[in-house]
Amino acid sequence: MNDKTDVLTKKTSGPLPAPKPAPAGPGSYLVEVNLKPDFTDAEGSAAQWLLHCAGLASNAVRVGRLYDLRGPLNLGHVHTAVRELLCDCVTQEFRICPSAGAAPHNGCLWRVEVWLKATVTDTVGESVREALRDLGLPDVSVRCGVSYHITSKCGRNQLDKAVARSLANPIIHHFSLHEAH
Amino acid sequence: MPTHTAIPPQTPETIAICGLRPQDLQAANARHGWSLKEAELAAIQSHFQALKREPTLAELETLAQTWSEHCKHKTFTSPIRYNDGKKTRLIQSLIDETIFKATKQLNRPWCLSVFKDNAGIVAFGSKWALAFKVETHNHPSAIEPYGGAATGVGGVIRDVMGAGLGAKPILNTDVFCFAPPDYDGPLPKGALHPRRVLSGVVCGVRDYGNRMGIPTAAGGLWFDDDYRLNPLVFCGAVGLLPAWAVRKEVKAGDLIIAAGGRTGRDGLHGATFSSAALEGAQLSAVQIGHAINEKKLLDALLTARDKKLYRSLTDCGAGGFSSAIGELAAQCGARVRLEAARLKACDLSPREIWLSESQERMVFAVPPRSLKAFAEIFASEGCETAVLGEFTSSGRLEVTHGKTSVVDLDMRFLHDGLPRIERSAVWAPQKPAPIKAPTHKKSLSQILAECLGHLNVCSREWVVRQYDHEVQGGTVIKPLQGIRHDGPGDACVIWPHAATGDPSDYQGFAVSHGLNPAYGKIDPYRMALACADEALRNLLCVGADISRAVFLDNFCWASPDDPARLGALVRAAEGCRDAALGFGVPFISGKDSLYNQTRDVDGKDLAIPGTLLISAMAPVADVRKALTMEIKGPGNALYLVGWTAEELGGSLFHQVCGRCASCTAPAVDTRIALAAFKSVQSALAKGLVLSAHDLSEGGLGVAAAEMCFTGESGAILDLDKVPRRAPIYSDEILLFSESASRILLEVAPEHEADFIKALRGAPAKRVGTTMANPVFKVTGLDGRVALESDLCDLKSTWQLSLPRRLG
Amino acid sequence: MKRPRILVLRAAGTNCDLETASACNQVGGAAERVHIDLIRSGKIRLMDFDILILPGGFSYSDDVGAGRILANQIKLYLKELRHFVRLGRPVLGICNGFQALVKAGVLPAAHGGEQTAGFTANDSGRFEARWVHLRLNTQSSCLFFKGLPEMIELPVAHGEGKLVLKSPRQLEELKKNKSIAMQYVSDDGKLAGYPANPNGSIFNIAALSNPEGNCLGMMPHPERYTTRFQHPNWTRQTFVKEGVGLEMFRNAVDYCRG
Repeated sequence: MNDKTDVLTKKTSGPLPAPKPAPAGPGSYLVEVNLKPDFTDAEGSAAQWLLHCAGLASNAVRVGRLYDLRGPLNLGHVHTAVRELLCDCVTQEFRICPSAGAAPHNGCLWRVEVWLKATVTDTVGESVREALRDLGLPDVSVRCGVSYHITSKCGRNQLDKAVARSLANPIIHHFSLHEAH
Repeated sequence: MPTHTAIPPQTPETIAICGLRPQDLQAANARHGWSLKEAELAAIQSHFQALKREPTLAELETLAQTWSEHCKHKTFTSPIRYNDGKKTRLIQSLIDETIFKATKQLNRPWCLSVFKDNAGIVAFGSKWALAFKVETHNHPSAIEPYGGAATGVGGVIRDVMGAGLGAKPILNTDVFCFAPPDYDGPLPKGALHPRRVLSGVVCGVRDYGNRMGIPTAAGGLWFDDDYRLNPLVFCGAVGLLPAWAVRKEVKAGDLIIAAGGRTGRDGLHGATFSSAALEGAQLSAVQIGHAINEKKLLDALLTARDKKLYRSLTDCGAGGFSSAIGELAAQCGARVRLEAARLKACDLSPREIWLSESQERMVFAVPPRSLKAFAEIFASEGCETAVLGEFTSSGRLEVTHGKTSVVDLDMRFLHDGLPRIERSAVWAPQKPAPIKAPTHKKSLSQILAECLGHLNVCSREWVVRQYDHEVQGGTVIKPLQGIRHDGPGDACVIWPHAATGDPSDYQGFAVSHGLNPAYGKIDPYRMALACADEALRNLLCVGADISRAVFLDNFCWASPDDPARLGALVRAAEGCRDAALGFGVPFISGKDSLYNQTRDVDGKDLAIPGTLLISAMAPVADVRKALTMEIKGPGNALYLVGWTAEELGGSLFHQVCGRCASCTAPAVDTRIALAAFKSVQSALAKGLVLSAHDLSEGGLGVAAAEMCFTGESGAILDLDKVPRRAPIYSDEILLFSESASRILLEVAPEHEADFIKALRGAPAKRVGTTMANPVFKVTGLDGRVALESDLCDLKSTWQLSLPRRLG
Repeated sequence: MKRPRILVLRAAGTNCDLETASACNQVGGAAERVHIDLIRSGKIRLMDFDILILPGGFSYSDDVGAGRILANQIKLYLKELRHFVRLGRPVLGICNGFQALVKAGVLPAAHGGEQTAGFTANDSGRFEARWVHLRLNTQSSCLFFKGLPEMIELPVAHGEGKLVLKSPRQLEELKKNKSIAMQYVSDDGKLAGYPANPNGSIFNIAALSNPEGNCLGMMPHPERYTTRFQHPNWTRQTFVKEGVGLEMFRNAVDYCRG
């Protein structure tokens, strides 16, 4: 399924290309920010431990941040947001996906997205929204999520159970699992 | 996002209750989740029958919130027919006849505000006052540990911010009761594993407290399997306020101003939810806090307070605006226009705005002339405000949205219309469970090691390190002590120089806790006294002035509808009363959380053990004279103060070996104890003591071992020297009995004579000597070495236990 | 004597500003806690001050990385900061303030305003508060270190304190121009791993300065060690007179007095 969800941009940060012409109408972008592979991901190790406690063995887990931006913005705006705010040019890299469900990162077997349910206030999203406004970008709605890139030979059911018991709380979160091909 | 949307006039949702039969009323009650009792429903029905109109849903929910166990503490204020095992008597109001009574009788002039404001307030020197509050956030933490604990911390901090005219929080406390993190029994569907609850709660407390810049430096952890479905999360906060800012009063004509976060559809039904059973509870009760909004609110509030721009304030907790405004306006009246509220989403109904429990909001009473200055200060901190209406002298709570009336209630009915329901309570001492005989006899050193590694004793460093316990730069006596900064301190001492702005003033205060549900399983009365005794000794050990100490109570219990459980609760409350009167230490604030029981896998209700947390606070006249608990060096004398008796009921020894026939929980003789504490305090004040540590779980053995490995100094104890009134013929009992009121002190040889003089009349005896050799050695009653353990081994057992069991 | 004006920069979420200002005032400075919005609106000007301090805390909640949003605001509203540093006026970033200085490209200083270092989560994966042993770079000309012993102790408290560099070559450069101001060490002064190095920082770096030595960013908290009673072992260290952190503030104040 992930072959079809085109990744528009996949590059490490640095000099950015000139923004493409803005698409007409309100935009919807999913930004995923990950720690560059050369850095140890302590957060990932913590997540790996949580999964282990929930009965799932994995070789590695890396954690990314997801930002779902919706509103009157174009790709240029998104690049500004990423460069100036969402992605640290030294430690992180990013990719912009048209919608949720991007392929796992760097050859991981599973990618899990965890989001707060729409009924739960997303406080980090509120902070990001304000910070984007400070940068002079259009006012957009922001939801924040977390992605986990999990190297594990487990099956979908097993992963689903383990995630519900460790990384996500079904009372406030919804999550989705994406497998590599 | 629009904040002021004109919603067209609409007829508010009314509920026809006037003509309903009792069973239909009850059905409506269940459907809407009001958690009202039958008599309460009837009172509401007849009130509206007399008014000849039907109530709106908002009115009913306002009443349900205000009359909830959470807000009105009905069990503690309603009549109880109590049978103490011999005769039956009627208690008119449990709280009035126990805890309040003691406070009233003690009548300490330095207690500036007790049991009426958001927190208890006591004088701190001549210019300042301290506000202290501890409350629980149990149910939300059970279903979403991170968010539940964080909003619990946020809530208690706001309580302190709203105490008097506003206090600056300078200390957070946290006490948790969980099932062991490696619990491997079955759990019902939907229940989170204890390990997950523990790590989520710790992260929640950490993230909120650290972001607020408040040191979390006092607390505790208790493990028992029976907390697996109902974990307990006690959050506390101490705030500093100027002495002039203790009194608050609302005047008719003052504006009602809401400040802080926006109102959204978060946490409807929080107050009624906390008294309802967990399953099927409203999921919207789960919320996520945002410390940054509260920090902005705090920064603005303190500036506005010092400019005297408002006359009163309170926080929005359970019940949201309805409780906050209802409380502030209780003596006058209020006119509220909900369309002025700032909203997160524009589609909230007026009822939702009124009852929403969105976090980080407070309500102020601002004289109209101060409005501009008030709003400017809040805006300068990036904090939103909205004028919601004004306080009136109508004696009514009138709430509208546009042209629609949402609530129109008589304040007297709202606050005093609650019918008092009589309950019955029985105290029947439980027969101790038979103890399984051990398969082999354990050696004393083996027992000591198991005690040190026991979850209720072992190092809490994994938790404490995650808290920024030194922000504000005033944590003079830290939770982790000793040469390597990792030993178990008795209490923390805070020197609030950054908040007072006067680094030449060395006045500080100490905070500690006492909690032991294991004693409560045997006798809640003794548990209450033992908890108070322990909390007080902890304060004493760091050099605080216990003659100026205060207590806070927090009861967490299962359903009080069960007469036996209520009987145990009465016993515990009586223990609190006797502790307060006996030690001369008043209670200044308290809370209760009842109905902590949930259906387990077998379909039966699993109740928590009756749990009482006593938090204590006392001033430290000069923080430069405070004390830590570790041995300071070789060649010093070890003195044990307090009688040791055969009291192993509920003890750690019991749990570790189950070899004890007697089952008496430790008793406290407050008269003897207080006299001994006073002489210890005078010895401490004279600088005659190098270190002090209280004896609690694990008795003398654990306390002495902790002092040794934290100070990296060995010691030799002679059990024959242990002060006792009745003969004891067992090394085990002398080493592990948990008799109350005991303290172990280290005294330098040159101070011994003066120390003995200061302790004259107290049950004190030299029981050992410290030495350079890093071993802990005990001579038994037969004069032979009964125990010899390497300090490194003892310490690593103690340190590694919690991390290992976390996985 | 002249009391140098000290700007203690505050933003939503800053939480060590009071004790930092107090430390400044104790050594003869005149500290003002100023919200960044007042600088943004032009009501208060950075150049009117002698010293700038960015205290610790969780500016803007650290929601998208520690100090990130504050760093943006520094770039946008404190445009004179570079000039301020070039004039040789003391600048001190503590903890969150250090993180913001790094993300704003102020430290490490050599690269014309481009961010060349960053912070990731502590290797332990947790926020940690503990006292650490630090070795000061005796070759650095850092004005805050005048008269301090080579080995000191201070507390750290952070969750995202692991300093990382954009390229390995950079480390040599930092060493060469004496920009590594402090390193985490064990109690016997050696470079050691966790917990001596509480976060796993590269080359145990705890603080960075500019080559001139007037701009210092550090993860440890000097404002939490101003009297001897704040040290975890003060009850047994009767020989200590005052906290070593206070001396750092005094050095900055004395420097401005000339």
